Amino acid sequence: MLDALWDGFRRRDRQALSRLLTLAARGEAIGAVRPPAKPGRVVAVTGSPGVGKSTLIGQLIAQVRGQGKSVAVFACDPQSPVTGGALLGDRFRMAGPHDDGVFIRSLATPGGHGAVAAHLDVLIQLVEAFGFDVIIVETVGAGQGDTAARELADVVVLLLQPESGDDLQWEKAGILEVADVVAIHKADLPGAEQTAAQVRSMLDMGKQKATPVLRVSSKTREGIGELWEAIATCELRRKRMTKAEARMAKE
Amino acid sequence: MILYNDGMAAPLRIVLAKVGLDGHDRGIKVVARALRDAGMHVIYAGLWQTPEAVVRTVADEDADWLGLSLLSGAHMTLVPRVLELLREAKLDGVGVLVGGIIPETDVPKLSAMGVAKVFGPGTSLDEIVEFLKTRSEASHA
Repeated sequence: MLDALWDGFRRRDRQALSRLLTLAARGEAIGAVRPPAKPGRVVAVTGSPGVGKSTLIGQLIAQVRGQGKSVAVFACDPQSPVTGGALLGDRFRMAGPHDDGVFIRSLATPGGHGAVAAHLDVLIQLVEAFGFDVIIVETVGAGQGDTAARELADVVVLLLQPESGDDLQWEKAGILEVADVVAIHKADLPGAEQTAAQVRSMLDMGKQKATPVLRVSSKTREGIGELWEAIATCELRRKRMTKAEARMAKE
Repeated sequence: MILYNDGMAAPLRIVLAKVGLDGHDRGIKVVARALRDAGMHVIYAGLWQTPEAVVRTVADEDADWLGLSLLSGAHMTLVPRVLELLREAKLDGVGVLVGGIIPETDVPKLSAMGVAKVFGPGTSLDEIVEFLKTRSEASHA
């Protein structure tokens, strides 16, 4: 059965891809995934529940498709620790209509995996090898603790919204440190500039690399193009890691 | 039944969707909640879906089941269209449930087209859960 699936995969049969993703997500052995002809750009979108991750990803899908690139999305939603059940509702908010250049898979995510589904590394390899240009991972939305995203992604986008806490929130260690791009979503609401200013000053104080802080609204489409530009021009995290590994190997 | 490597049963994946111009989603949300609580993975595709979009969702999500809810009276147009597209996509193996306001005279017609079961008003949530569990065990045994 596995051979037939790989045959289909090589013929670019979406259903073979879909089936292989299911098997891989269950932790079954599917064999080695060949490296992609052209590496994709893996973008993790993280932020608290209700900040608008799915809605914004819907906007990003349109932006990416507008440039003629294909996009695969892994939408992680929580799985009940009691029943094992899950209600996966993210794709509903990623408004379509979608064509063959868009693939969305919803993933039930048990606790303790750093806000992304198990085996996500293999799933990313699969869609990358299938030929998707952009791979977007939506985290569960744990917000402060879900730094696992950075180990899988090239670019980590943190979504915040106006009125999401006083300036002490930004002093906490964790997610702000791993963000490559910060988007203040729902920027059509009052207080967006204040939140952006607080985050900027926090990032400056840390003397970290210049992390873009952008105001974005899915409602008015303000800043969507700029956000994608920031994501598309960000140096790939995996490449950075490789450089750092090379340095360490030298030393 | 599909088993994980560790012997645990893989949860059923079911897409729930409303097709056409029908804004009544209370019922489908109640069913979604019940199936979730029964340990299933429910992919909620929501309101105003086209038959094409629903079939794409079923394919990309690799779902075992598709549940359609219709309260608009358009079931004899939209359900056959979804079934046809599923067949074209070679997704005949996906079980299709229909819920909502379906006149009794239409139920045998829908069954003849390939709908696994029609659940009308008054159906208990346990009945839907039991049906899915029993049928899934039978088909994957």
